[in-house]
Amino acid sequence: MATFTNNELITAYLSRQIRDDDLCFVGVGTNGRAFTLAVGMPLAAVRLAQMRHAPSAAVYWGNLLEPDLSVIPEHFTQDAFTQWQAAACPPDTGIKCDMLARRQFDVSFNSAAQLDRYGNMNITAIGDYRRPRVRLVGSLAQPEHFAFVRRPILLMDLDPRSFVEKVDFITSAGHLSGGNSRREAGLGEGGPSLVVTDKAVFDFAEDTREMRLKSLHPGVTKDEVLGLMSFRPLLPEAVPETATPTAEELDCIRNDIDPNRILLKV
Amino acid sequence: MKEKLTTLDKALSPIVSGSSVMIGGSLLRRQPNAAVRQLIRNGVRDLTLFSWAGTTAVDLLAAADAIRRWEGIYVGMFNYGLAPNFRRAVESGRIEVRDFSETAMVARLRAAAQAMPFLPIRTLFGSDIEKVNPEQIRTFECPFTGEKLQAIAAAEPEFTIIHGYAGDRYGNVQWPVVRDTDDMDQPMAAGAKRLIVTVEKIVPHEEIKKQPSLTYIPGNWVEAIVEVPYGAHPAACDTLYDEDDAHLRDYIARSKTADGVKAYLDEFANTLPDHAAYLEKCGGLDALAALDVKGRA
Repeated sequence: MATFTNNELITAYLSRQIRDDDLCFVGVGTNGRAFTLAVGMPLAAVRLAQMRHAPSAAVYWGNLLEPDLSVIPEHFTQDAFTQWQAAACPPDTGIKCDMLARRQFDVSFNSAAQLDRYGNMNITAIGDYRRPRVRLVGSLAQPEHFAFVRRPILLMDLDPRSFVEKVDFITSAGHLSGGNSRREAGLGEGGPSLVVTDKAVFDFAEDTREMRLKSLHPGVTKDEVLGLMSFRPLLPEAVPETATPTAEELDCIRNDIDPNRILLKV
Repeated sequence: MKEKLTTLDKALSPIVSGSSVMIGGSLLRRQPNAAVRQLIRNGVRDLTLFSWAGTTAVDLLAAADAIRRWEGIYVGMFNYGLAPNFRRAVESGRIEVRDFSETAMVARLRAAAQAMPFLPIRTLFGSDIEKVNPEQIRTFECPFTGEKLQAIAAAEPEFTIIHGYAGDRYGNVQWPVVRDTDDMDQPMAAGAKRLIVTVEKIVPHEEIKKQPSLTYIPGNWVEAIVEVPYGAHPAACDTLYDEDDAHLRDYIARSKTADGVKAYLDEFANTLPDHAAYLEKCGGLDALAALDVKGRA
């Protein structure tokens, strides 16, 4: 069996969630581990999907529609964004917002400071909104992703402070209080579909919409996962192992997509 | 055409304590920082501030205790983390915030540009962004379909400040052919009441009129235009110069405490007479040229 890193496992897993013709939203920001989660692994995963089984999969990144993923920038400073070649660069971000509202996106990659049992997420404030313990960044288009994208994928490291029973502030409405509550609130189909972490993958039960353990990464136990969460997800009788990357996938990631280990660095 | 070219001091003098101001730019790009430093020198307080993805400009104003209320999609320091001074002021209750998601903020800007009191969206059902803000986000029934929609109040600041690439003395501002478009500067300008534009360079009107389709802010909309080279520093102006990493790191380090950032503001804003003195303080045009990029256009 090939040896692989945790980031390679996640990247290969993500790439298999991407279907041909999918339009995928990838964010632009942050650094360190947050960059790897929000930008690095999503870009590498879409490129891997393009190379393997989904040649027509596309990315909307920043305000670039279909940037050339065969030459992903090595530095993420302003000029590297400006120089990145792409099929389209609409005149302002409002165009991307219109495409979101018209449900033209299939996949988004999201991370949050807090995520709860029903996939509601918080990037706005920890504690009371008007006098928060920690003021976070606001909302960006994260509410749009959960409102309009067909299959949002959360990409977060397991941590009891992040996986909480109830988020302090619902920035993005996921499955709200479960069942039919999302529909009753006025939202359409959608909401978070998968939660991919460093230890395990979760989905959401079809009926109650509760977060459910879907697979464990190789070598990880159920108890280890539960110890890293502040709520107990649904636990099926049998939980399979997360599918591992193939030698071909690893070859693409290491030699073609990210030879200098920029996207999957930390 | 009417002459709009003036100085930063004159252009910003109508903005006083208690004014409402929209600032342009997004993330570390075209933040109107030269104008913001002038507002800080002027000692304005209690601003109601509107932004898209605000970074340095919002955080500098927060550091100077100039903001009473903020409305927008984001305040942070992009890849440098959370905005230290904005965060401190919100956590201590000195700044009141109202968050808007991107489609909500787009609706607010387009409503203002169309002279409409609101535009509808259907994004924020179930979100606490709606729950905390019944004044500006209200559910109503579509008169055609009966569907529930959310009315988002227009953004109607008294002043709008945008930093652009190049313009003429009549206020016509042009963007380069290849640029980073991830912002809302043109929709902000289109809905502005009193629009103040700073640009990297004033160019002859003869240059502008050769390519009128590049004019994204017509002088007709503009109250005042001011030339401020490196006017977004320490943030970037895409196609012209990159963000100043060393300066940003120093700013963030000194922002760990309120006293630390007060000393920074004294050094880079309060004790300096104008933008030219700021450029000298940052090593002068020769040193700043190290940030220049070649561009593709």
